[in-house]
Amino acid sequence: MVRLDDLHPEEAAGMLAAAARFSSIDHEATPWIAPPPLVESTICLITSAALHRRSDLPFRFGDTGYRLIPDDVDPTDLVQSHVSVNFDRTHYQRDMNVVLPIDRLHELRDAGEIGGISPAHFSVLGASPDARAFEASAADMANRMRELGVDAALLVPV
Amino acid sequence: MLSHFLQRNGIPTTTISLIREHTEVARPPRALWVPFPLGRPLGVADDPEFQRDVLRSALSLLETATEPTIEDYPHDAPDSGGDGVWACSVVLPEPEVSDLEAAMRSEVDLLTPWYAEARRRRGRTTVGISGATPEEIDQVVSFVIAVTQGSGFKEVPISARGPNWSHAMPMLVRFAVEDLRAFYQEAVTSGPETNPPSQHDMHSWIFNKTALGRAIIQIGHQIAAANEPRLMMMRGLIVPEGFWEGEAAWGEAPPDGDRLGFIIRSRAYLAGEEA
Repeated sequence: MVRLDDLHPEEAAGMLAAAARFSSIDHEATPWIAPPPLVESTICLITSAALHRRSDLPFRFGDTGYRLIPDDVDPTDLVQSHVSVNFDRTHYQRDMNVVLPIDRLHELRDAGEIGGISPAHFSVLGASPDARAFEASAADMANRMRELGVDAALLVPV
Repeated sequence: MLSHFLQRNGIPTTTISLIREHTEVARPPRALWVPFPLGRPLGVADDPEFQRDVLRSALSLLETATEPTIEDYPHDAPDSGGDGVWACSVVLPEPEVSDLEAAMRSEVDLLTPWYAEARRRRGRTTVGISGATPEEIDQVVSFVIAVTQGSGFKEVPISARGPNWSHAMPMLVRFAVEDLRAFYQEAVTSGPETNPPSQHDMHSWIFNKTALGRAIIQIGHQIAAANEPRLMMMRGLIVPEGFWEGEAAWGEAPPDGDRLGFIIRSRAYLAGEEA
């Protein structure tokens, strides 16, 4: 499987260098908070694949905003603006759930393993070279999540 | 990063991690590192049981972790593939470099029924990020061919007017290339019984066996000839490392060595917001 050792050396070096963007994070400023038990929690997904509906404005290069994806989105209506030659895209082309596991989340809810699912999920354009870029967006997303009754978020990178 | 900002705003988070080295520096509250290829955070397509297990493992950290935690997912993705085992079942003619346009149009014609089959079976397509619809794939070909022939990176070539392009130049070139790549990939993986190729096998097929691959490399040469360092980043976005001969696909590192800073400074230009 793909670990950094398995990547082309140039790509691996780029990935390692990119870790530096996280070094400015003040970890102490992040409080430890926990949601209710999973069986009572409403969960939302956040994908960094820049997925959006065809009618949405596409993410422009360097976009630090977000798009909402309804939980009942028609998969035919989704496009992925964050494409990279470094991503293995053939699996996503076959099955949306390998990037955005909405169907799997529904199965966990139907089995009673989680309490509920947010009526909308969130999408951002990942791989930003600027770690602080999403600070304002995250505050706005958190407000929206509270309005949607979200207890906890699962971030799914790509 | 997002996980820190969300928690600071009152939303508990758990995250899937694909690159452990990043997660170790970012230290999000809860992370499940998965040993899967980039682009496949849930591991594998069409395997609900495996995907559910990954999802469950990531969510369970919300209950079990009591301090910042990186847990390692213990299973590799159940690919029966690997590099060097996939062979494209669609037989394309040897790409004719002397007439790249005719060769590419012939490939698109041959792949169209396979693409249509994949789209019908899956009920969806990932073609369309450039703004062109799948029905406008011929105009996407016209676009890419014009760029290989030196139409430049400032204006949409006259021969490619028509689609409601979603992006500005020069970045539109990259999205047009990606739409063609998606068209080819969806077409040649349309069979339900075939395992998807590894990413390396897919890249090898495109760059060694198709006129599209030749066209992408030709665009890479046009980028180099444009003598605009900020544009070189786009070559790294369309050509995977290992498939550009002579130097890194991204070009040389900026003189001060600050690649992240260079990317940040180049974004507005690439998005067409700055000359």
